[in-house]
Amino acid sequence: MKSSPASRRLPVHAVVRPEPVSIMVDGEALEAYPGESLATALLAGGRRAFRATRSGALRGPVCNMGVCFDCVVVVETLGEVRACMTAVRAGLSVHTGLGNDGAGHGAG
Amino acid sequence: MEQADVAIVGAGPAGLAAAALLAGHGAEVVVIDERPRAGGQIYRQPPATFRGEGLPPGRSYAAGRELLAAAAGASGLRWKLGTLAWALFEPRDAGPTPGRGEATWVVALADEEAGIGRLAVRHVLVAAGAYDLPVAFPGWTLPGVMSAGGVQAFVKSEKLLPGGCFVLAGAHPLLLVVADQLLRAGAELAAVVFAQPRPRLRDGASVALGLRGRVAPVLGLAGPLARLRKHGVPLLSSHLIAAAEGASALEAVRIAPVDGAWRPTAGPERRFSCDTLAVGYGFVPSTELARQAGANHRWKPREGGWVTDHDDWMRSSLAGISVAGETAGIAGAEQAAEEGRLAAIGILRELGALDGEQAARAAAPVRRALARRRALSGLVARRFEPAYAALAALADEETVVCRCEEVTAGALRAALATHPHLGSADAVKLVTRAGMGPCQGRFCMLTVASLIAAASGRELAEVGPFHASAPVKPLPVSQLAAAWPGPDSL
Repeated sequence: MKSSPASRRLPVHAVVRPEPVSIMVDGEALEAYPGESLATALLAGGRRAFRATRSGALRGPVCNMGVCFDCVVVVETLGEVRACMTAVRAGLSVHTGLGNDGAGHGAG
Repeated sequence: MEQADVAIVGAGPAGLAAAALLAGHGAEVVVIDERPRAGGQIYRQPPATFRGEGLPPGRSYAAGRELLAAAAGASGLRWKLGTLAWALFEPRDAGPTPGRGEATWVVALADEEAGIGRLAVRHVLVAAGAYDLPVAFPGWTLPGVMSAGGVQAFVKSEKLLPGGCFVLAGAHPLLLVVADQLLRAGAELAAVVFAQPRPRLRDGASVALGLRGRVAPVLGLAGPLARLRKHGVPLLSSHLIAAAEGASALEAVRIAPVDGAWRPTAGPERRFSCDTLAVGYGFVPSTELARQAGANHRWKPREGGWVTDHDDWMRSSLAGISVAGETAGIAGAEQAAEEGRLAAIGILRELGALDGEQAARAAAPVRRALARRRALSGLVARRFEPAYAALAALADEETVVCRCEEVTAGALRAALATHPHLGSADAVKLVTRAGMGPCQGRFCMLTVASLIAAASGRELAEVGPFHASAPVKPLPVSQLAAAWPGPDSL
């Protein structure tokens, strides 16, 4: 589901990002910045869909404030979390259920 | 059990203003917010790991910087950030509360690291803010369709452009602010689409701007409008979203002309290619904690729907629970801060830290400021009130209304036709499952209620909000299990 490269991190002038770390998303490495949200990392990595519903419909983040639960992903060690409310830290392993690693919701 | 005089739920403008005032009078205060940093959505700060400026520079964030600095400098404040307040229990329902005869409420907490916690307090201030009004139109579940507030939070807090080419559609002045921020961040804007006819849009801005210059920091619309025109961004009025289109994600938005009541009218549809649609028709007060506790609520469509009822000290119908900010009705950050101060003085009066006369004297300037704010917010509310029925009518038979349980408008209308006696949102929830998913009805409540009103001829006020239960947001069962002291505790 890496259909769009359109999302991009903004160059920040008054703020400086920390050194990037590597996280795993559906078995592939993704560079992300500690403290930014997992939703930010996934969008900046070109993903638009974060999960599929039971009927197979694709969903991505909507409210970006912890209300809609459409950005839920599975993080090893944390279980199902809202990507918009979860901070990136080194070594996170994320499963959307949309990758080729055979893992996803319910598998975490 | 941890104890305090006051628990404040929400570290936005209302909660921060209340916290500083309460702490200044020596009250023991705990401020709880689900986000890792204070500020709420309006003053949402970048991640703490990003070094440098917390909030963007500029006049519109000056009030936020002051509130954050005042609260940070207040002694005796305890912060529980990254912490969910998931229920308010009466002490007898929350297990033994040793040494706390005076506690009137126990706040149930959850934190990723600390797990489940309890906090016994004498007073609770619910200042839980608001979220963008969800609108169910065909295609609204496609990845790339976001709320305007969500898009804004990506830009101003996460420093991310969440797409490349945007359409913004809605009816709230925030839309212009977000459009301007996107433009400054280098995004391409395909169109900005308002539901209101142009004269009313202009009136709203110009009347507001006429209010003795106080409005620029509140609405700040003149600059954004000028910049949108300068960049040649199409600015349309009297159009609603007809549909979002795309295969696996958003590819285009269709918009259609509407009349003054936002009902479809003759005229051609227009189609804009884009990868992100920001939807901003208004805001819904976060009242779930006050509803779960059992406080009375009232239908106030111009203030965002069901709001927590309160008296002129911001006290809810339940002893020991006050409200402030958007939970008490959508009115913006500046009014929220004044309501927070008034609620705090009312709480000091309840706690006996101020007598009646002292409280009245302390409240007088706050009430004067509040009266000025209400004159403005009332005007904005009248000009920008969402036409709920027209928005609910956008959902065609296949449109999913309850995103969590994937209940369509067709299924809801069929259930209402089969069971004409169903007159409440809760009854329809039991029959259709709409509102039973993880968002707990936040995203379908107003659409479901509007469909019931349309089918039954009842007023929205009679249909009622969904009942809110503990936990007001989903919790991992493992966390609850880890906190259970075992069968001997029963």
